[in-house]
Amino acid sequence: MIYSADLIWHLVQRDFQLSHIGSFLGVGWRILLPLAQLALLVLVFGSIVPLDIPDYPAFIYSALLPWLWFNSTLGSSGFLFLGNRDLLRRPNFSPIVLIVANMISTLITFLVSLPLLFFLLAWYERPVSGAVVLFPLILLVQGVLIFGLSLIIATYNVFYRDIAHFVSIILPMLFFITPVFYRPMAEVEYSSWFQLNPMTALVRAYRAVFFHGAMPEWSAVLIVAAISLALLWASYTAYRNRLPDIIDIL
Amino acid sequence: MPLAVKADHLTKRYRVLRNRPMTLRESLLRRLTGKAAGQDHVLALDNVTFSIEQGQIVGIVGHNGAGKSTLLRLLCGLGRPTSGRVTSNGMVNGLLELGTGFHPDLTGRQNIMTTGILNGLRHSEVVKRQDAIIAFAELESFIDLPVRTYSSGMYLRLAFAAAMEFDPSILIIDEVLTVGDERFQQKCLERIQTFRARGKTLIVTSHDAGLIQSLCDQVLVLEEGRVVVQGDPKSALTCYHDLMRERTNRRASLVSSKAVLPHLLNAQGSRQGTQEATIASVRLISRGKEIVEPLSKGQDLTIELAIELHVAFPDLACTVGIFSETHVKCFEAVISSMKTTFGAVQHHSLLQCKIESLPLLPGTYFVNVGLFPTDWSFVYDFHWQMHPFTLISSETPGMNAAGVVSLQTEWAVTSIPANAFRSASSM
Repeated sequence: MIYSADLIWHLVQRDFQLSHIGSFLGVGWRILLPLAQLALLVLVFGSIVPLDIPDYPAFIYSALLPWLWFNSTLGSSGFLFLGNRDLLRRPNFSPIVLIVANMISTLITFLVSLPLLFFLLAWYERPVSGAVVLFPLILLVQGVLIFGLSLIIATYNVFYRDIAHFVSIILPMLFFITPVFYRPMAEVEYSSWFQLNPMTALVRAYRAVFFHGAMPEWSAVLIVAAISLALLWASYTAYRNRLPDIIDIL
Repeated sequence: MPLAVKADHLTKRYRVLRNRPMTLRESLLRRLTGKAAGQDHVLALDNVTFSIEQGQIVGIVGHNGAGKSTLLRLLCGLGRPTSGRVTSNGMVNGLLELGTGFHPDLTGRQNIMTTGILNGLRHSEVVKRQDAIIAFAELESFIDLPVRTYSSGMYLRLAFAAAMEFDPSILIIDEVLTVGDERFQQKCLERIQTFRARGKTLIVTSHDAGLIQSLCDQVLVLEEGRVVVQGDPKSALTCYHDLMRERTNRRASLVSSKAVLPHLLNAQGSRQGTQEATIASVRLISRGKEIVEPLSKGQDLTIELAIELHVAFPDLACTVGIFSETHVKCFEAVISSMKTTFGAVQHHSLLQCKIESLPLLPGTYFVNVGLFPTDWSFVYDFHWQMHPFTLISSETPGMNAAGVVSLQTEWAVTSIPANAFRSASSM
């Protein structure tokens, strides 16, 4: 266990080193990128096509950060196995740790932006309540969801390179049907097709605890948790079965 | 001795798909049309069983495609055998292919860290051993540069040094010892000996039969996915060479319609090969003319090969060697790619090798020359003991030298007083 923790931590560091080689701002980009996205959304939907949502920057940012964790993890999953041949061809290496390391690396981006979120909440004098302590719990549910999806994408992209392309089309679409920067009309909000997107329930839960200072909708979160666990089991089984073939192909 | 590695009825079958990587569409179509049965299989390993004791150096030889790499990968625990199993006792580490294993954009130091942690060490332990690795690899001034800037020799040195320092119980090295300069190779060989002395196991493959014979305690010969022989290096390598001859004969019977196959009558020695490329003549020249009389010590010798290609080959491998009457290899030049060494090979070419002064003792010697495909899997033409020459003595009177090389020696005898003798001898 200690060995795995050491290895994962080393891989996270390695990921940071690799993604910031030769860049002037280095890790600073991890804070800057979500901010840039926030600025763009505030500009478009705050001034150009106003949506008239009070405290709009804080409203977006409380949902944008978890969305970006989801988005950047899945976006980079496709080539986790393909791009790390050097590690996969070593004895005693279990490829699944790459999934975990990648998730943690993107999670760090999320966490380092949290102070800024709290600053925005305080700036707009949003009500802060004890519901914030539920944040780690929602994070855990989202983690399980991301892990399962990431594992299945990484595994099958080794065999069918179409998967990564498919994911890169799906993610921007998903962004628009997830209520990150808007508040859906009530009749849409509770329709079943809208709820099908597991990120909807999660984003709403994050927004509840941060922005509204209220309890999340437990039933929705529990359903997502159940779906995520089922997905995790399915993707782990697929990974287990396909692992020898993955190593043969690479 | 307890066992280090055991392979039990190991079989590995690869699926060969016509064009890889297969797309999702093809896969779906195949499933819909039920064509899944139309796949080809290649049997890379066929029911291989052997065991290796701890503290041994084991060589695996076999021509390209005999299943060496597949076997090494399975021994490393990479991939799943189609049937059978591998059991290994202790931590296994492998240097499988040169060019994999390190991340090109990370520095040597960062890559050492990855290697160390993958070998189950803590961060601090790796830091402790790091200096020893850098020193052994002689990369002090390059260690903080990205690995992609390294030459292949530097890369190999780092890989070898790291693998040794992190001290697995079983180390598997595929074809890497042949890279790097001779001095470093010697250093590696010494390191390997201490590795073995500590009861560790080493498994190596190499095309260099000489290296295998001098290094290994045991040799395994693979042929078409099967272990043909496991035994002491000498008899195993003899078997390996017999297999090579057999393959040559088999191929010769296939190509004989195309190529000229002159069953040359030789005055002496023997000749074998498919004759797709031939050494039409070998001339031994000294002082500007072909030798007829014995050479005297210090005389020059030029070996001239007339090479003729009956089929166009992009590249060839060639050996030129001098062997004593008792088959001792005095000198052998191995040119594994004539194209990279000399440029593209023409249909008719002359290859000359000039030796300024022969540093050999008096006696009869043979020039053995050969042409091979670059993967060394069989022989185009090999002349064995067909071209002799003699060297006559010009040594100091009353003194006989034995051995292989003739050294330039100077002798002196002087008398000294007795007390000076005592102090000189106690030194």
